[in-house]
Amino acid sequence: MSWIERMSAGVDSAPPGGRSYRRVFGLLPWVLLALALLLVFSQVRRPALLVEVWVPWIEVGTLAFVMTAIILTGGIDLSVGSMVALTGMVQAVLWQDWGWSIEAAAAGALLAGALAGGLNGLLVVAGLSPLVATLATMALYRGLAITVAGGDRVTGFPPSFLDMGRLLGIPSQFWLAGLVFLGMVLLVHHSRFGRWCFAMGDNRQAARFAAVPVNKVEGVLYTINGLVAASVAVLGAMRHDASIPDAHIGTELQVIACVVVGGTLITGGRGSVLRSLLGLAVISHLDVGLQFLSSRLVWLTAESRLIAIGILLILVAVWNQRSQRES
Amino acid sequence: MENNSPPILRAVNIRRTYPGVVALGGVSLDLYPGEVHALVGENGAGKSTLIKIICGALAPDSGELFFQGRAVAWPNPVAARTEGIVTVHQEPELFPTLSVAENMAMAGGLPLRGPGLVDWSRVHRQARETVRQIGERIDVRQPASQLSVAHRQMIQVASAILQNARVVVLDEPTSALSGEEARWLFQQVARLKADGAAILYISHRQEEIFRLADRITVLRDGLEVWTRARQAVGPEEAIEAMVGRPASTLGASPSGQANSPTIEEGPVRFQASGFTDRRGRFRHIDLEVRSGEIVGIYGLVGAGRSEFARAVFGLRPAGGLVRVDGNPCEIGRPREALNAGIAYVPEDRLSQGLCLGLPVRSNAVLSTLRRWTRGLLASRTREQQATRQVAGRLEVRYRSTEQPVQQLSGGNQQKVVLGRWLLAQPRVLILDEPTRGVDVGAKAEIHRHLRLLAREGCAILLISSELPEVMEHADRVVVFREGEIAGEFDPRRTGPARVAALALPRQSTEEASAAETRSAASRARGRSFNELALLLCVAGLGLWLTVSTEGFSLSNLLTHASLWAILGLAAASVIVGRGIDISIGSMVALSAASAAMVLKLPYSPELLIPVAILAGLLAGTAAGVLNAVLALVGGLHPIVVTLGTLTIYRGLVIAMLGGKPMTGLPPEFGRLAIDPATGFRGAVAVAALVVLLVYLWMAHTRSGRQVYALGSSPRAAGLLGLSTARLWPVTFGLGGLLAGVAGVLQLSMGQQMQARLGAGWELSAIAVAVIGGVSITGGRGTVLGVVLGALLLRLVNSALVRWGVSDQQTDLVVGSLILAALLLDLAWRGWKR
Repeated sequence: MSWIERMSAGVDSAPPGGRSYRRVFGLLPWVLLALALLLVFSQVRRPALLVEVWVPWIEVGTLAFVMTAIILTGGIDLSVGSMVALTGMVQAVLWQDWGWSIEAAAAGALLAGALAGGLNGLLVVAGLSPLVATLATMALYRGLAITVAGGDRVTGFPPSFLDMGRLLGIPSQFWLAGLVFLGMVLLVHHSRFGRWCFAMGDNRQAARFAAVPVNKVEGVLYTINGLVAASVAVLGAMRHDASIPDAHIGTELQVIACVVVGGTLITGGRGSVLRSLLGLAVISHLDVGLQFLSSRLVWLTAESRLIAIGILLILVAVWNQRSQRES
Repeated sequence: MENNSPPILRAVNIRRTYPGVVALGGVSLDLYPGEVHALVGENGAGKSTLIKIICGALAPDSGELFFQGRAVAWPNPVAARTEGIVTVHQEPELFPTLSVAENMAMAGGLPLRGPGLVDWSRVHRQARETVRQIGERIDVRQPASQLSVAHRQMIQVASAILQNARVVVLDEPTSALSGEEARWLFQQVARLKADGAAILYISHRQEEIFRLADRITVLRDGLEVWTRARQAVGPEEAIEAMVGRPASTLGASPSGQANSPTIEEGPVRFQASGFTDRRGRFRHIDLEVRSGEIVGIYGLVGAGRSEFARAVFGLRPAGGLVRVDGNPCEIGRPREALNAGIAYVPEDRLSQGLCLGLPVRSNAVLSTLRRWTRGLLASRTREQQATRQVAGRLEVRYRSTEQPVQQLSGGNQQKVVLGRWLLAQPRVLILDEPTRGVDVGAKAEIHRHLRLLAREGCAILLISSELPEVMEHADRVVVFREGEIAGEFDPRRTGPARVAALALPRQSTEEASAAETRSAASRARGRSFNELALLLCVAGLGLWLTVSTEGFSLSNLLTHASLWAILGLAAASVIVGRGIDISIGSMVALSAASAAMVLKLPYSPELLIPVAILAGLLAGTAAGVLNAVLALVGGLHPIVVTLGTLTIYRGLVIAMLGGKPMTGLPPEFGRLAIDPATGFRGAVAVAALVVLLVYLWMAHTRSGRQVYALGSSPRAAGLLGLSTARLWPVTFGLGGLLAGVAGVLQLSMGQQMQARLGAGWELSAIAVAVIGGVSITGGRGTVLGVVLGALLLRLVNSALVRWGVSDQQTDLVVGSLILAALLLDLAWRGWKR
């Protein structure tokens, strides 16, 4: 394995130095990629169709903006997908079985999301590894989502509720994503709280010694994540007129992929919410673009799309790693 | 000194450069048998680089190394050690989760017996012999994390003697030793010398050097200043050579001693009364510091000084009252201490002080962010202004406020930490070893600033284990001994000898270590708690199900548990070596698909089945190795890599299947796992074999133990020449191979291949490993635990079916089980402490 040792040693000993413009260079390939794929879409005859196709990716992006902050602190939350499913089912059950009004049920779902996220935060604060703790709650919340309604989907929400699925003709998911994006940019990059996140991700102990309230930061972040997951669930119910217990399986991986492709360090301390938006743009353009193309190109099937996304993820991650080492 | 015999070790013209730094610019050194050779120099002079080259942890860029007359190039430290070059590092790098005995044997390569298996009885025998040398009671089976630093160093010295070492390198060996222990060390040095070994002795302590050394070599800025016989040099000369300027100009800074009477009259700024640690590291501490006063706290390492400081700052639970300017303060968290006007500069700059990857600005303003925010938003400009201002005041040498702080030198880094607390405008400043690892120039500057701060009215507590530092720079010296204040001195009227004598422990070392051994033994017992608890759960549930359930089939249970045990081991083998693989489910599908493709070929089943099995296993192994290679070559975290390959492998599977499930596999293949005619469960047999082999590998072979070592402490493993580059291809490959076994078994049991096979199994596999007690941070976990974890998971599942809970709710159970296992472990560890 000596060549591996040589090559990985070579990576480690890359010379230090460099300036911030290199960081901008790091963004270049994505911008190019996004442009190229936009060209593909220019061939689509009904652009309105695109908006609809994009909704699942916008949901992923909404979650990715919050996940960015969590990963920045050195944490991770694998239970997002399960939280979306669970809060969706909570809303459905409160409305259907407990006779709550749909608005009250939605509020109940948000509360459930905050509680589920808060439990994640508590476990992490208690000293469990975030990876393992949220792996456990991922299964737990999924199990609960299936249990609360006996494993069946719930449909038939009132029309007034379903009407809120669009605002000014655009699916509400886009509005939520915009709101969360703005909120997270402010929180992560322009507030004291965000500075704390970076410090914790770089060196948790040093942050603690510098009087950073590490427990509070973690508790708040995981709770926000639960809240946003619940919001996604409520909007999802509006859109599909259904709460589905096995929805969003595997979403956590897509969310993390957006963050990583964006160039946020998986071990924390480096990254940005804007980068996650770019990560989302790259992955979703590729996925949606290839979907459109596949109607014309026979060889471009579902599996080659999967493979392409996997390869892209690794390549972009390697590129980021190298350009960050240089800067 | 026996100059007539040839040198044992010769280093000739050794050069070594790091990017941007010449660590060693052509240094030569001869070590003769029976000589103690002292190596002195400031921090950054190149001492540690030279040691690393001599002991094989680092290769020189140029220059030659001769050992007993022949040229050598050590491939790794183990090679040097087996030849007789033993290095005792200042802070011995240990594998905290491995036993004391294994740690001792690991350095020299584990002894083998028979067919490549580790000879454990020899490992333990040798360890006990070594411990007997020291004359202290240490259980060699306890995990090394339980050892005190002093014991770690003593054990290394003792094993050097037992190994008949020819060259012994001692790097700051007395820094963590008490007076009694240091005397023991000096005896051992004398003994080694009498045996004809050469000793390279690195120390900052002048009196030790002049007491022990035969010759002295001074390094400065990577170059040798001179090498002389001890009799030919005086202490002043050595210091001048180290620093490169006359010693007399060093200590006498204008700030020196402030003898002005105003200090005595200043109001009491800081008062701690009745401070007692919850964990017993210090008791009944009463301390007062006046405004403008610098109080030095002197004591040996472990006397409770740092613990006291941390308790005052709210980092450690303790009882007692703090008053600042007479107002009692409730301090349970660092933020509360900060609000009360207390600041704390921690002892370890790198791990406690700085966020190395972040810019100078972020580090400097981290504790005072609220002051630089406008409304709700943080302002980078104002943060930069604050940084520039404080950096200018402390004369920090840096390029820009956005420069990562890791690019600064040690002294400047320390000033950044100090600056962070100056920005908080503290009324009480506690500094814990503020000049450790800082060069002489920066040291003097830091002391000058402390004096200036005191003049401005700050109360300063200066904690140090360097006696000259507190004697020269404090107005009053408080001596800590064994968690209590042993006395208080005026440094102007007291000789250093009296202060030093007071700091020495009274409690005999034997009593202390006996107590330590007792608590360690009870802690060691806790390790097998996990497996015992699991075993009881498994036995209880199994028994209850067998008795209460009609048609409960033990063999069915075992068949399913077999699959999960194999998957759990696949996850565990990767995790133990500090990796993680979340593509296990896709690898299972990939190998099952490969096997299925072969089985569909138009040949006779007898021919195809072995080929299919082989294809399945190969596909799994290749996928696993590819994960490792991508992670290593790309320099990526394994989560990221396997997140990518998870989709790639799944895409491959779908492509291989062409979108349709594969059915109609030869029935002979199905009989491999379960033969309905004879009732023979091939799956169980395969799992038993796999478990046995993996157990032998992980617990009883060198490479298996190396994986544990790597997981336990990558840094310590690096010193032994073990790296992720060498071991990850093996562990990830094994993970892939086991996923392949699971894939083939699943194919045989299910008799069909569909695209979603194994999706999400990676999480269950990790769950089995975690329930079985594998630590997600590596280095800990057993094969038995994983097998029990798999059994428990299946049993609980059966129990749920028995209770009429639907099969869909497995997730709920798996989740609760992992949580329960984690919380139990956490509670257990907390209770032990």
